[in-house]
Amino acid sequence: MKARLLESRRLLTLILVGAFLWSLLNVNWAEGLVHPGGLEALGQIALALFQPRLSPDILAAGAQASWTTVAYAVTGMTLALAIGLPLGVVASGVLTRVGWVRRLNVGSARFVLAFFRSIHELVWAWLFVAAVGLSPVAAVLALGIPYGGVLGRIYSELLQDVPEGPLRALRGAGASEWRVLWYGRLPMALPDMLSYTFYRFECGIRSAAILSFVGLGGLGYQIQISLADLNYGRMWTFVLFLILLVLLVGGWSGIVRRRLVV
Amino acid sequence: MLRAPSVLSRTNLSTDVVLDGLSKRYDALEALAPLSLRVEQGETVALLGPSGSGKTTLLLLLSGQMEPDTGRIVLSGRDMARMRSGRERARLVGMVHQQFDLVPQLSALHNVLAGRLAEWSLWASMVSLVWPRDHDMAVAALARMGVADRADVRAGRLSGGEQQRVAIARLLVQDPAVILADEPVASLDPARAGEVLALLVSVARQSNKTLVASMHSVELAREHFARLIGLRNGEVQFDLPNPQVTESMLHALYDLRGLRGES
Repeated sequence: MKARLLESRRLLTLILVGAFLWSLLNVNWAEGLVHPGGLEALGQIALALFQPRLSPDILAAGAQASWTTVAYAVTGMTLALAIGLPLGVVASGVLTRVGWVRRLNVGSARFVLAFFRSIHELVWAWLFVAAVGLSPVAAVLALGIPYGGVLGRIYSELLQDVPEGPLRALRGAGASEWRVLWYGRLPMALPDMLSYTFYRFECGIRSAAILSFVGLGGLGYQIQISLADLNYGRMWTFVLFLILLVLLVGGWSGIVRRRLVV
Repeated sequence: MLRAPSVLSRTNLSTDVVLDGLSKRYDALEALAPLSLRVEQGETVALLGPSGSGKTTLLLLLSGQMEPDTGRIVLSGRDMARMRSGRERARLVGMVHQQFDLVPQLSALHNVLAGRLAEWSLWASMVSLVWPRDHDMAVAALARMGVADRADVRAGRLSGGEQQRVAIARLLVQDPAVILADEPVASLDPARAGEVLALLVSVARQSNKTLVASMHSVELAREHFARLIGLRNGEVQFDLPNPQVTESMLHALYDLRGLRGES
């Protein structure tokens, strides 16, 4: 039994390594990775990094675009939390004890979460733009749904992996599983849940910028326009705004986490 | 005689514990041989014996966290196996653990209030995390344990002794008729251990509650408990009032020769 498992593991490793090598063969190395004018453009872009355009009107546009991007990210994360928290609790199976009820609940919640997160936010964006047109609603849905799927999955694991002792003590005091969730699992999982949520919020800001390429406005849209104008200095200004946003969220999450550490 | 008024005493029902042919095995190992005994209300009982003697098994059975293979437990006339709701069980038995088992992220106050969860609706329990319910009751319990000033400190930031005081305060608020304690002071330093154990025993005595504790330290057991039960290899070696237990009995109890798990 064990020997067979080991064998099938080796086989799997072999298949994966094989697939990797095969994929290397399929890259067209001969035609070159960089097209003829490419190197020159790369040089210009690199040079422009040291000359970002900082005129008041561009800074104002950057601030405006940052605000739009943050607004999308915050609204998208709110939706993601509304999806991920309840579905994560159900998918963790901590509230149900009976065999088939538990399997049904956990199974369907996990399926929904997997469905939500297996489709990339850009694909969701195309779908929603096709359905509701270029509206902020499309961007928020496109961000919130896959992020909700990821959050739910992580939450369900964190809620399962808390120390058993305090939970046992709560049950001993007559607490039902719902109360154990509120007084034991959630408080104990909260620091990790928060820190992961903040990490996802950072990702959300980058995604919100990308989503604006779809034509929804924001930093990505400004970057796209600058690139189209070959105005690399202007482009870098907006990229710097993006970096600033991500750093700010990182700093904020650090402060919140420090306060939560026991 | 006047009993000291307890803020927390709920019932005056007689609560005695009856064990009737209780036994438990883990696979081949007989953790507890069929055991019958009776503990009267208000008795303070220490379970003594080397590790693996069945003390913890007996406490897990008494607290309903584990089911016996044979026999039954009757708590104030009620068969434990028939108690379906956690609430009903929580009113009869409560337990203090060696590792305190508080939720480190919650304040001492909320950890104490967790002892009230069985009495509250789910909604009230959730609201209480923001606006504490029965606040005065919890503070009174903390004060009785001498840690009222720590109410708003997160449990994870308290010292071991303080944590065990908070855990006992939670038990006070839960107010069970029978208090179980699994090596309640084994992870505290000797000075704290004596203080905390004295508090636990005096709390039980004042409200005439039954206390059954497994004890690592024979000294502390002799100092604080009225009745000693010696367990060895899952069997009762002696079950006597404290003064009648002799040194030779204790020596025989902890003698390594013939002890299961030792070679």
